[in-house]
Amino acid sequence: MVFLFNDKLSEAFTVMKTESKIAENTPRHPLKDLILEVKNITKEVNSPEGLLTIVKDINLSVERGKPISLVGPSGSGKTTLLAIMAGLDLPTRGSVNLLGSNITSMNEDQRAQIRAQDVGFVFQSFHLMPRLSALDNVMLPLEIAGDPDAIEKSQIALDQVGLSARSKNFATQLSGGEKQRVAIARAIVNKPKILFADEPTGNLDQKSSNAVTDLLFSINELINTTLVLVTHDLLLAEKCEDLYELSDGSLL
Amino acid sequence: MIKGFRYGLNKFWSEALSGDLLILSLSIILAVTSISSVSFLGDRLQTSMKLQASSILGADLVLRSASVIDPKYLELGIANNLETAETITFLSMVITDDDNLLTSIKTTSESYPLRGELIVTDFNGSPIQNNGSPPTGHVWIEPKIVETLNIKNSSEISIGNKVLKVDGIIQDFPDRNSSFVGFYPIAIANINDISDMGVIQTGSRVVYRSMFSGSTRNLNNFINDIGEIPADIRLQQAEDVGDELGEALGESVTFFNLASLFTIIISVISAMMAVRRYATRNLLQASLMKVFGASKLFILGHQIMQLLLIILFATLLGLLCGYALQSLIISTLQGILTTDLPAPSFKPLVLGFVTSIFVVFATASPYLKILSQTEPIRILRNDFSINLSNNLTIYLVALVTMFIFLGILFQDIKLLSYILMALIFVTAALYAIGKILIILLGSINFSSGIGWKIGLKNIVNRGNESILQIIIFGLSLLFLIVLAETRTDLIDSWSETLEEDTPNYFLFNIQEYDIANVTSYFLETANFSPSYTPLIRGRLLSAKRAGSDELSSENLMEREANLTWQESLPKSNKISKGEWWNQESTTAEVSIDAEVAESMNLEIGDELFFSAGGSKFSAIVTSFREIEWESFSPNFFFILSPSAGQSLPNSYITSIKISEQSNIMNSFTQRFPTITSVDLGAVIQQIRNTVSSASLAVQYIFLLTLIAGILALVASVFSNRDQRTKETAIMHAIGANRLIIFQSAAAEFFILGILSGLTAIIFAVILSSIIFSQFLDLLYSPNILILGLSFAIGVIFIFISGILSIRKTIYTSPVITLRES
Ligand SMILES: Nc1ncnc2c1ncn2[C@@H]1O[C@H](COP(=O)(O)OP(=O)(O)OP(=O)(O)O)[C@@H](O)[C@H]1O
Ligand SMILES: [Mg+2]
Repeated sequence: MVFLFNDKLSEAFTVMKTESKIAENTPRHPLKDLILEVKNITKEVNSPEGLLTIVKDINLSVERGKPISLVGPSGSGKTTLLAIMAGLDLPTRGSVNLLGSNITSMNEDQRAQIRAQDVGFVFQSFHLMPRLSALDNVMLPLEIAGDPDAIEKSQIALDQVGLSARSKNFATQLSGGEKQRVAIARAIVNKPKILFADEPTGNLDQKSSNAVTDLLFSINELINTTLVLVTHDLLLAEKCEDLYELSDGSLL
Repeated sequence: MIKGFRYGLNKFWSEALSGDLLILSLSIILAVTSISSVSFLGDRLQTSMKLQASSILGADLVLRSASVIDPKYLELGIANNLETAETITFLSMVITDDDNLLTSIKTTSESYPLRGELIVTDFNGSPIQNNGSPPTGHVWIEPKIVETLNIKNSSEISIGNKVLKVDGIIQDFPDRNSSFVGFYPIAIANINDISDMGVIQTGSRVVYRSMFSGSTRNLNNFINDIGEIPADIRLQQAEDVGDELGEALGESVTFFNLASLFTIIISVISAMMAVRRYATRNLLQASLMKVFGASKLFILGHQIMQLLLIILFATLLGLLCGYALQSLIISTLQGILTTDLPAPSFKPLVLGFVTSIFVVFATASPYLKILSQTEPIRILRNDFSINLSNNLTIYLVALVTMFIFLGILFQDIKLLSYILMALIFVTAALYAIGKILIILLGSINFSSGIGWKIGLKNIVNRGNESILQIIIFGLSLLFLIVLAETRTDLIDSWSETLEEDTPNYFLFNIQEYDIANVTSYFLETANFSPSYTPLIRGRLLSAKRAGSDELSSENLMEREANLTWQESLPKSNKISKGEWWNQESTTAEVSIDAEVAESMNLEIGDELFFSAGGSKFSAIVTSFREIEWESFSPNFFFILSPSAGQSLPNSYITSIKISEQSNIMNSFTQRFPTITSVDLGAVIQQIRNTVSSASLAVQYIFLLTLIAGILALVASVFSNRDQRTKETAIMHAIGANRLIIFQSAAAEFFILGILSGLTAIIFAVILSSIIFSQFLDLLYSPNILILGLSFAIGVIFIFISGILSIRKTIYTSPVITLRES
């Protein structure tokens, strides 16, 4: 089983490497619509063993409408990189251009502003507010942005993930798969231009996992967003147009 | 920020019903209930006590003298917008055609009394007058005179040269204790008749009183204006008048303050625990909001709005409860508060809001900072811990704010510094004990997986969390135990003031030749023999400082002196300075009440000159005494040594206890018409009522603190319930059975409870003894029963609520638990 997995992985990487070579060799088309551009990102942290580099010299870019995926072994720095790309964390060196703004030179509240308008998030452990209903959970980003039509838009989003019937239920009353679908509704309710997902199927069984995967990609097209996906699930990763592999903090 | 406010407003109800905010709200409600009820109460009690004291004087301020008082003082009083009245009181015979009686004649001006009520009825008992003085030529008399002299309506009596018509019976008048010590019956006449009576000559025993009342400000101005007063005039103010009633009420006010102080401290402790748990839980939400683009201000706005709403609702509820509680207490005290109480002021309202704002922001503001500054990355890392070093500053901030606030609120720096010291010492001690426990348990190697061993291990694993829990348990128990002890001892000391055998009759004017008959009368009718105390009517003439030749009569304002002589110190007296005489001593000695000595500026060794029974003599002051007046046995300001007093003419007095149903006193007065008997039953009953009502009021307030204490314990038990729940679920999942889980939790809470309970008891003894000696003037001896009971109940309570807090997880499937957490 493990063997098979590795086999598949390396097969996938061969494909990917060829593709990325093509990408490198072809001069970048000036009209290409880049939604995210990461330049020379390095992240160092202090640890008991001294300065630790967890992400090293990363360069990558994401085109509008083209979902990408990020794979790599546990501890390779995927989450760290995702956080930096989404402006949740700052790199030690390098810059991130998200939706035309250099977010690495912005302050916390300015980055928050961009996240509120154009960025969506889905997490491995869902992170729904247990004391709020599904609908209230979905409404959160709109309420933060002060959208007057929060309720209607949230109901539409819940409908899009197929859970309009459960809108009154509290988060604790939903199954894992349903929670993640509510989380996806929450992520897309503000019509984000870019959607970050960190192992969205990591906590789900196969069946729910498939449902969530299908949902993520159909949503990607439905609301015209760009998915940036961190995952262990190779099947899922392969569905993306671009696939990057991280190892020990560096891109392969 | 505005958006944050709006969000907080919208989400308030769904948040409010969650457990953490509930505990926070309850702590606020309790703190507000306590502070507002005590403030409602304190305000009203103090005003009513002052009115009551004033009615004992008959005015707010009185100038009294044995000689005529300069009328300029009355004029000054009027100039200061004070109401004024005058009385002149003297002893004289009331003479009828065939009998006469020595009576205290009180002549009054029309405005008498300024405070309290004079109640006069006609001979049929219907009220005719409740203030002022009879018209000239008329007189009101006490029932005693009616009986003795057999007076009918409109009979005429003469006082001195004046014939007066009796047309009223005095049922009650306020300044009963203001005149002659002793129990002469009273007659009230018009002050303008005094010259016609012609009874006052130089050397007569007369008390002149000028009475004043008005606002505190005007009174103070008046006192300023009169400046230095002549030595023979004594100034009395309502505040100086103390009686048992005032004392019990005063002590209960001290207790109320103590209780509300403790309630606030305990409420702050539970608020601290609640806020901590609330913040820990909300860290996820705040971080999530950050991820979805919320600014610092949005989160701040959200949190502040929620806290403000909690403050609003909890304070209003607390004020309601506070008002209800004080109404309950006031109605309990109604029997003993004769005057109508002033309406409550706005002060408690303001205090209530200030208190709750303080409780919330002292405990929550550090967390507000943490929440608003949380990094969104926490969401990706699943890291929602607030580390304890942050908590340390939080608790320090809370502690400092708390004491500044309490300092302003209670304005009793002395009490607060003791409490602060207790807090610091006890916290340090509990911390040390917790630390030692963890090190000790940590060094033991628990090999097998038996339940209680897991529990002990958990204490070690939780580390600082366990220590914090020991501290909170210990502090809550400490304050509860101290208050429980104070409550019990206070109530005991009150009820001790009136033991069952407290005498209820005083008999005066018993002559030497009566004694055998009186004794045999009581032996026959009630099977006891009274003990007699000699009473010598005398006057204090002057005093001479030891070593000086100068006689002085300054400061000796109470020249009328009832004397006695005694071989040994009476039971209800205690020597406070000097020494009691030796029985064989041949020098004439005198022992004086310590307070009288102070007010007359006398010292041990002074020589006092008296006159009694037509002869003059002197005695050396050899001791001062403290007198327990509540004993209701004959007590004297001046006691002579046998060599000084034995040869003087005297009558006897005695105090006896007659059962209330018995009517032997009726036949007694018939058989011994010359002996005066005074029934103290009503006075004793009033004191009994005071004591039981004040005790009940104290119980209510104590109950409130008790609830706050229980809340603090619950808040503390529940503060790490999330973590415990997760642990139990995991233990469950890896196959531990219910018994093991139960055992481990039981062992953990048992150890924490025992240790904090023991520490609390040790420090409770110390703190109680300080409070007793410094603030209540009571002797402290540890009450083993209360200490033992509090300890047992405290440990059992912690144990049971600890078990209950994880009960749900023991009995539900681990899958559900894990899913919900
Ligand atoms: N603040 C930090 N301090 C110290 N080490 C850190 C910190 N943040 C991340 N790391 C370390 O950096 C490495 C990369 O972490 P990251 O979470 O990005 O890995 P990941 O690829 O997402 O792993 P997984 O697949 O298990 O989620 C890990 O070894 C982690 O322990
Ligand atoms: Mg990760």
